[in-house]
Amino acid sequence: MRWTIALHVTGLILLCVGLCMFLPLACGWYYDDNSVAPLFLSLCVTVLAGAFLMFSFKRPKPLVINHREGMVIVSLGWAACAFFGALPFVLGGFPSFTDAFFESVSGFTTTGASILTNIEALPKGLLFWRSLTHWLGGMGIIVLTIAILPFLGVGGMQLYKAEVPGPVADKLQPRIKDTAMSLWKVYVFFTVAQVVLLMFGGMNLFESICHAFGTMATGGFSTRNTSIAAYDSAYIDGVITFFMLVAGVNFALHFQLFRGRPLTVWRDPEFRFFAILVLVLTAVVTFSIQSSSYSSWPEALRFGSFQVASILTTTGYATADYELWLPLPQGVLLLCMFIGGCAGSTAGGIKCMRVMLLFKHSYRELFRLVHPRAVLPLKFGPKLVKEEVLTSIWGFFVLFIVLFVLSALALAAMGVDVLTSFAAVVACIGNIGPGLGEVGPVDNYAAIPTLGKWVLSFCMLLGRLEIYTVLVLFMPEFWRK
Amino acid sequence: MKAIIVGAGEVGFHIAKRLASENKDVVVIDRNPAVLQRILEHMDVQVLEGSGCSPLVLGEAGITKADMLLAVTDSDEINLMACTFANMLAPGLTKLARIRNDEYTAYGQQLAKGIGIGIIINPEVEVVRTIEHMLRAPGAVDICDLADGRIKIVGTWITSGNPMAGTSLVDLRRKAGDMQLIVAAIVRDDKVIVPTGSDEILEGDLVYFVCEDSQLQSVFSFLGNRSGKKSSVLIIGGGNIGLRLARALEKKPIHVKLMDKDPERCAVLAGELDRTVVLVGDGTDQEALLEENIGAMDVAVTMTGNEESNILASLLAKKLGTPMAITRLNKIEYMPLVRAIGLEHIVSPRLSAVNSIFKHVRKGGVLSAVAIKDGAEALEALVGPESDLVGRALKDLTFPKGVLVLCIMRADTVLIPSGFDVIQRGDRLFILSLTESIPGVERMLSRGQEQG
Repeated sequence: MRWTIALHVTGLILLCVGLCMFLPLACGWYYDDNSVAPLFLSLCVTVLAGAFLMFSFKRPKPLVINHREGMVIVSLGWAACAFFGALPFVLGGFPSFTDAFFESVSGFTTTGASILTNIEALPKGLLFWRSLTHWLGGMGIIVLTIAILPFLGVGGMQLYKAEVPGPVADKLQPRIKDTAMSLWKVYVFFTVAQVVLLMFGGMNLFESICHAFGTMATGGFSTRNTSIAAYDSAYIDGVITFFMLVAGVNFALHFQLFRGRPLTVWRDPEFRFFAILVLVLTAVVTFSIQSSSYSSWPEALRFGSFQVASILTTTGYATADYELWLPLPQGVLLLCMFIGGCAGSTAGGIKCMRVMLLFKHSYRELFRLVHPRAVLPLKFGPKLVKEEVLTSIWGFFVLFIVLFVLSALALAAMGVDVLTSFAAVVACIGNIGPGLGEVGPVDNYAAIPTLGKWVLSFCMLLGRLEIYTVLVLFMPEFWRK
Repeated sequence: MKAIIVGAGEVGFHIAKRLASENKDVVVIDRNPAVLQRILEHMDVQVLEGSGCSPLVLGEAGITKADMLLAVTDSDEINLMACTFANMLAPGLTKLARIRNDEYTAYGQQLAKGIGIGIIINPEVEVVRTIEHMLRAPGAVDICDLADGRIKIVGTWITSGNPMAGTSLVDLRRKAGDMQLIVAAIVRDDKVIVPTGSDEILEGDLVYFVCEDSQLQSVFSFLGNRSGKKSSVLIIGGGNIGLRLARALEKKPIHVKLMDKDPERCAVLAGELDRTVVLVGDGTDQEALLEENIGAMDVAVTMTGNEESNILASLLAKKLGTPMAITRLNKIEYMPLVRAIGLEHIVSPRLSAVNSIFKHVRKGGVLSAVAIKDGAEALEALVGPESDLVGRALKDLTFPKGVLVLCIMRADTVLIPSGFDVIQRGDRLFILSLTESIPGVERMLSRGQEQG
């Protein structure tokens, strides 16, 4: 473990993120609101800090990063981005540093949990920065860095593996830089498409961009107090539902689609699972809310599908207060919180691929009881799944549940009611945003105690980096020479 | 450029590593996930698990968009099969196969016509040639042909007490007088230095120089290296290479003994060879070696298929008094270690396969390419009539960093260039370049030629 490399690359990442602050600065300057000074100051501090780290710790040539250093760099990079990303909020008048940090972590990890009670009061520059943190965090700040910096090479792969969501990280192109580039191109394409479509629906450019950022990153920060419900437009709901689902699918598949191989997408077992899940859950929710909460089928379908897509892809936009619905649809949404989107997407949660494999594996164990001599390889589509991947998925699942229970108990110990603490933790660890109880779709996280906000911030980071990358840093064995 | 490599063994690994370090797009195909994992940890390439002779896998690897297919598994048949399917899927593609069996290589033309295999690499032939060179110039630890063997690039250790230690290159040139001796590179602490006139040769350096074949002996005696006639050779290990080597050596006035453990194999060997004495015995067995009076032999060559046995047998032979031992070694990681235990002459069929493959990968009229350690390459390039370089003086050319023009061969004479020499068409340029500058050199060499 060489700290010089870790700090040097962290410096590079900070520099990239710091330069991204030019965008909200330009936005604040255009609207001439009071976000210009905080953003400008934060930009300077972040860029200087990044440059300082870069130049005081020289990188060796050639730049080789081993897998341990990869995990340190990714965790450190994300923590540093969240810290410096909080600066505009601190300077922009957030009540406390804790709140600003929570908002920033929530942005970068694409959670979308906010402590703001009146979002619309925030200057436009800060609102833009809030949404931009989503967008940067969605495809991954590391992937962004790899795409921009050509020399990361082999080391880039170690970083990529530590950041990318899902049990296996595949390259789309021979070189890691091109892989990162392809992913970002797809990402940018969808974002632009969504901005255009939202503008057709009457949203202005600023809000279209912010909402497209929030959707494609499966984040969930809105510029309105009442989230998407503020527009009350079936068209906008439809567009956002579609793009949330797009963002919940593995980006490697989108890439294949752009290459003109639509069959690869359809043959992908995880995609099929995801598609069927969306259809079935939407149907269940629509049926059960139609009679009780809505008067017509189309309306029930519109709100039901939106909520299912929003929670399943861990976006967290809201067009309806699902806490007013019957218990069954609420339970379905709770289930969605755990499952999440596909591996390799911008969504959080346990991920469809893991859920599928867990089920298949459990079924195999049952089958083995009937046929003790059977040879039972586990297949995912046509491919065999390696035992080590399976073990790692079980480990992930157990850690997910253990962390979920422990953090929820910690919140409960601080006096938060049981429903709220459990829902808040799953909403943060799954990078969703809204939960149930005090942190439901029409509430916010302002009332959570200070210490609780730090616990939840940590949960969000764990969830985004898929637990292992962060948790391994807390093992004494990791640091032993 | 995109290259697909079939086979992630030692040869595939090192080719992939060198191509990837030059920023080329590389896809490696192998059936063994463990070796692919190793590749992923060391270099920035794409890997694909599957059989390289499956058209499906080749298609998945993007064969239609590739520029080159390198089939370098250990099996001749798989390599041929991979090239066959590649030829069906992408007929225009450059295909290169590593093939060891003479029965196939003898049909090179037919293979080229039938399934379009452009280049066939037989590393065993190269290894035998290298050993022959080493026997001629025992001071050399690395010796390769340029210009069809007319020019040699030779690596030699500067041992303690060598009169040349501490001399700067300018002085060396002065002392050498008429002798055309060009120091191409100095390897110090495993790093390659591209020398300038003021650089000094130090003790413990591995010096690479370029000279004409006819001057090899005089250059060696000038550099203070002992040399002597080698008249008796013991080859341990009667595999393909051992047999090939014995066959080549017995044509010369050299007394050859060939030892192998397996009595049945020995019977075959004895039938194939005429003058060679074939012995049944284990090369790591001291008794057997003493019985054959190993101490009186000039050279022991260990060529078994087992790395560790080769190292042991060579050490044993040296301990029993043989002045020179040549060891066959395939694991490239072992190479820095064996020098430390006193084995200087190493040949590696895999490494020579990598080298001979590389000269075909290079663009811009490159005829041969010789790797110097991992850090540099010596290139031989033909200046075509359309090249932009024609008519320009060397001092007017801006080469990338870490690049040195060693010499120019014009008609049949070798020139040591000064900055004022003007490049003519048909010249052969000998260039030393650090690995990172190779893409730049390739660009320079191919400028003008591609349009023409």
